Amino acid sequence: MPEIAHVELKVGLEVHVELSTRTKMFTRAANVAHADHFDAEPNTLIDPVVLGLPGALPVMNRAAVERSVMVGLALNCRIAPMSRWDRKSYFYPDLPKNYQISQYQLPLCFDGSVELPPMSAEGKVNYAAIAEASEAGGQLARTRIGIIRAHLEEDAGKLLHEAPGGHAIEGTLADYNRAGTPLLEIVTQPDFRTSDEVVVFCRWLRDVCRFVGATEGILQRGHMRFEPNINCVLKLSDGRTVKTPIVEIKNLNSFKAVQGAIEYELREQPGRWIRDGREMTPGSKTTRGWDDARNETFVQREKEEADDYRYFLDPDLLPVVMSVEAVERIRAALPELPLVRATRYLREYGLSPKEAAALVEERDVCLMYDAAIEHGVSLGLERGRAAKLAANAILQSGAKRANERSTPERAVLVSGLGISSEQIAEIMVLRDRGEISAQSADELFGLLCEMGGEAMGASPREVATRRGMLIVRDDAALDKWCDQVIAANAKVAEDVRSGKLQAVGRLVGEAMKLAGGSADAKTVRETLLKKLGQG
Amino acid sequence: MNVLESREAVRTRSASAVELTRSALDRASAINPKLNALVEIFPDEAVAQARAIDERLARNEPVGPLAGVPIALKDNICLSWGRTTCASRMLENYRSPYSATAAQRLIDAGAIIIGKANLDEFAMGSSTTRSIFGPTRNPFATDHVVGGSSGGSACAVASGIVPAALGSDTGGSIRQPAGFCNIVGYKPSYGLVSRFGLVAYASSLDQIGPFATCVADAALITSVIAGVDPLDSTSSPDAVPDLLTDLESPIANLVIGVPTQARSSANHPAVAAALELAVERFKRQGAIVIDVDLPHTSHGIAAYYLIATAEASSNLARFDGVRYSRRAKLEPGQDLMDLYCRSRAEGFGEEVQRRIMLGTHALSAGYADAYYLTALKVRRLIARDHQRAFDGGEGQPACHAILMPSSPSPAWRIGEKTADAVSEYLEDVYTVGVNLAGLPGITIPGGFTRGNDGTGGTPGLPVGVQLVGPAMRDDQLLRIARMLERAAQ
Repeated sequence: MPEIAHVELKVGLEVHVELSTRTKMFTRAANVAHADHFDAEPNTLIDPVVLGLPGALPVMNRAAVERSVMVGLALNCRIAPMSRWDRKSYFYPDLPKNYQISQYQLPLCFDGSVELPPMSAEGKVNYAAIAEASEAGGQLARTRIGIIRAHLEEDAGKLLHEAPGGHAIEGTLADYNRAGTPLLEIVTQPDFRTSDEVVVFCRWLRDVCRFVGATEGILQRGHMRFEPNINCVLKLSDGRTVKTPIVEIKNLNSFKAVQGAIEYELREQPGRWIRDGREMTPGSKTTRGWDDARNETFVQREKEEADDYRYFLDPDLLPVVMSVEAVERIRAALPELPLVRATRYLREYGLSPKEAAALVEERDVCLMYDAAIEHGVSLGLERGRAAKLAANAILQSGAKRANERSTPERAVLVSGLGISSEQIAEIMVLRDRGEISAQSADELFGLLCEMGGEAMGASPREVATRRGMLIVRDDAALDKWCDQVIAANAKVAEDVRSGKLQAVGRLVGEAMKLAGGSADAKTVRETLLKKLGQG
Repeated sequence: MNVLESREAVRTRSASAVELTRSALDRASAINPKLNALVEIFPDEAVAQARAIDERLARNEPVGPLAGVPIALKDNICLSWGRTTCASRMLENYRSPYSATAAQRLIDAGAIIIGKANLDEFAMGSSTTRSIFGPTRNPFATDHVVGGSSGGSACAVASGIVPAALGSDTGGSIRQPAGFCNIVGYKPSYGLVSRFGLVAYASSLDQIGPFATCVADAALITSVIAGVDPLDSTSSPDAVPDLLTDLESPIANLVIGVPTQARSSANHPAVAAALELAVERFKRQGAIVIDVDLPHTSHGIAAYYLIATAEASSNLARFDGVRYSRRAKLEPGQDLMDLYCRSRAEGFGEEVQRRIMLGTHALSAGYADAYYLTALKVRRLIARDHQRAFDGGEGQPACHAILMPSSPSPAWRIGEKTADAVSEYLEDVYTVGVNLAGLPGITIPGGFTRGNDGTGGTPGLPVGVQLVGPAMRDDQLLRIARMLERAAQ
C-alpha cells in the first residue's frame, strides 16, 4: 500500500443569494428577504402565484434580473443577450408547483472570474497588505477564481417539523412566505485550494452583493447559503495521483461553518480513501450536511441518485432579453465596489487600513462619507483634510451613536442616525477652523442625530451658537481664566515653570472647565505655557 | 335571442336583464337535467348581477357592451364564486379565490354568469364524456357525444340556455364541439386572450375563446375579453385587431386555400360534402379557391400529443394533495410518497393519468430528444407550412384563409371510443395544427348528415367547417367567416 505523500484540496462553490427586491421573483407578493418583511407571520406573504393555485401564472420581476446582472458584472461575467426560464421538476411539499422555475440551459450571467483579495491570518480581507502594496506602487499576486455561471431561480418554502418555540407537533407545517423569493445561484470553478480562500471569497461576495443592493446578506436569516464541493488530490509515494470522491456540503449559512466543513473534509478524505479505496468517478459524489455542534459533516445522501428533473422551457414565460444598452446602463449604475473603494481611501486619503475597512462595510456609510467629503470641499476644506475629518466624525462620533441605538435584531448605521452629510461637513468646517472643541464637535454631532429634537434639520453653526459651544476668541476672558487657574493651582504651576511640561495638562483641563467648553484647548495650552515662562 | 339581440333588448328596455337571466335559468332547469351542459348553476348570483344592471339602466347610468347577456363558463375558468372543478375528483370542492381575467372582463362588461359548463377532465378529451359529472349529451341526438373538451359550453349555447359561452381550445376543444353542435366556435390567435385564471392543460397551446350562434356574437364577446394582461406574460402586448368595425365588409379578391390533406378519404361523406359546399359558397362570392399543401399535417397529432402531454405532466404536478386538491387518507406507516401517489391516483381520471404518464415519459432523460424535442421540430415545420400558404409564392397566390373540416367525422355515439383513446385522438387531425402554429381558427356550421345514412342520428347530425387565418389577423378571419355565414343564410 503506497503512502500518501501530499494532499491537495480542491473546492468549488455554489452560493444561493436571496435577493432583497420589494416583491417576489414572479409575482407581486411581498418578498420575505426584503427588510420590511423579515418577520412576517407564516403564510402571509402569499398569493395565487406563490401557492401555485390553478390558473395562476408567473410574471418576471425585472428588478431581480437587473440586480442579478449587477452581481454578474461584479463577477466579471458575460451577460446573456437572451436567457430563458426552465422548469425543474421534482415533488416536495415546500415546492408549491412541484417544479421550480430556474435557468438551466441559458443562464443570465456566465463565464466570469474574480481575483481574490489578499487575506489576513484570520481569513479576512487584508487591507494593510493592500495599503503596503499601494505605497510600494506594486501589484499583489492574486488567486483567480473562475465563475461558471450566475443564474436566477425561485426559492422554495419552509417546512417546520416542530411548532414555533420548539413544541412537538404531529405532522409537518408548511410556511410559503419564502416560496418564490428571487434566488441568484452562483457557481464557481473548483479553483479554491484552501478553506481560507473560500471564506475570503464568501466574505467578498457578501460585501459585493450587499453593496450593489442585491441582498440584505444576513447570514443567520439564510440570505446567503453556501454549498462547497470538496475533494482532494492525493499524491502517492509510488508516484500515482488519485482523486477522492467529491463531497457536496449542503446549506451552510455561516463563514465558520464553511471553514469548518472544508477543514473537516480535508482531514477526513485521505483517511476515507485509505479505508475504502473509493476514487472520484461519475456518480461517486455524496451529499453531506454540517453539524455545527459536533463540528463535523454527516452523510445526507450516499450516492448521487440519477435525478431526472425533466427540464423544459417554461411556456408561461418569455425569454429574458438583455440588450447591450441595457447592460451598459446597469454597468454605469454599478457603485464603486468595496475593495476598490477601500483601496482608493487608502491611496488617496491616507486612511488607516482599519478605517478603510470599517467605512466600506456598509454601502450607505461610504456614500455618506463620500458626500460629507464633497460638501466639506465645497465649503472650502482641502480634500485630504476633509477626508480625515469625515472619517473621524463617522467612525468615532457616528459609530458610537450607531452602536448605542443598535439592537441584536436591528443594526443602526451612521447613515440612519438622522444627521445629514451636509451637517457633518459643517461640523468638520467648524472643527477645522478651531471654532469648536473636539468635545463640542462630538456633542454637536449627537444633538444633530436627535430626530425631532430642537436640532432637527438645523444648521450646526446655529445649534452650536445657541448651545454656547463656539469657542470664545476673547483674549481678555482667556487671560482671566488662565490667571485664575494658575492662582488656584500654585503647586502645579510651579512644576510647569520648573520644566515639567506635561503637568500643564491638568491646568488646561481646569481652564476648560471654567470656560465651559467655549475655549479652544490648544489656545488655552499655549496661553498657559506662555504665562508660565515656557511659551 | 342571440348576444346582439339580447343586449339590444336590455338597452331598449324591451326586456330586462333579470327577465333574460330568469329565462336562461328556466331553460337550464328544463333541459340541463337531460343534456348535462352545466355542472353548476348560479341562480342567486346571476339574478343579483342582472338586477344591478337593471338598476343602473333605470338610473340612466352607462352599462357595458354585454349588459344583461347571460353567459356560461367552461369549468376550467376560475371564478371567485362557486366551484372550479375542471370536472375532476381532484378539484371536486375547489373554490378559486379569484376570477380569471377573461371572466372578470365579461363581468365588467355587464355579462351575467349563469353557470359553469361541463368538460372532459382538465380539458383532456374530445367528447365531454370523461367528467366526474358524467357525459354532456348532444342536443341533436342525446345518445351522441357533444364533442370536447368544451362540450358543456357548446351544448349550453346549442340548446339555447345561453346565447354565448366561453370555452378553451388546446387542440380543437372549441372548434370541434362547435361543429358537432351546429354553432360558431372561435379560437383566437395565441396571446390574444389572457390565460390568467384558465387552469392550464398545455400552456403553449391553451387559448380561451367563445361559442356563439353567429360570427358577429363571437366577435363581440372576443372584443371584450381580448387584450394584454399584466398577469399573463404570454398575452400579446400588441393592439387587439378591431374585430367589429369592418365585420360586415367582404374581403375583395379573396383567396381561400384548401389543403390537399383536408380532402382525405377518411372524411365522413357529410364532412366532405360540407367542405365542398363551403368551397362553392366562397366561389359564388367571387373568391379564388386554390389547393394548398400542408405536408406535415399527418405528423400533427403525434407532435401535439407529445407537447401537450409534456406540458400537462408539469402543469398538473401541483395537484398533490398537500395544499389544496384531493388528499388521500393514509394508513399508518404510509409516507409522503404514498400521499402523492394515492392522492393523484384517486383524484385523476384514467385519461388524465394516461396523459401525465405520456408527458412525463416524453420529457424524461434519455427520451426527451427523441420525443419532446422532435415534436418541437415538427411544430416549427407545421407553423412553416401554414405560413407558406398565407405568404404565397412559387406561382401560388397568398391565401387569406385556409378552409378545412373541423373534424373528420360528426359526433359519435357516447361510449363508442372510450376504450380506444387513440381513435379519439385521431379526431383532432384538423384542429391541432392551428394550436401548434398559434393561429386563429373558427368553426361555423357546415350542414348535416342525412338522417338515414347509417352514421348519424335522426334527423341528422351537424358537421362544421373551419377557417384558419394568419396569426393576429383575427379581424380578417372573422370577416371571411362572416362571408361564408352570410352565403349560407
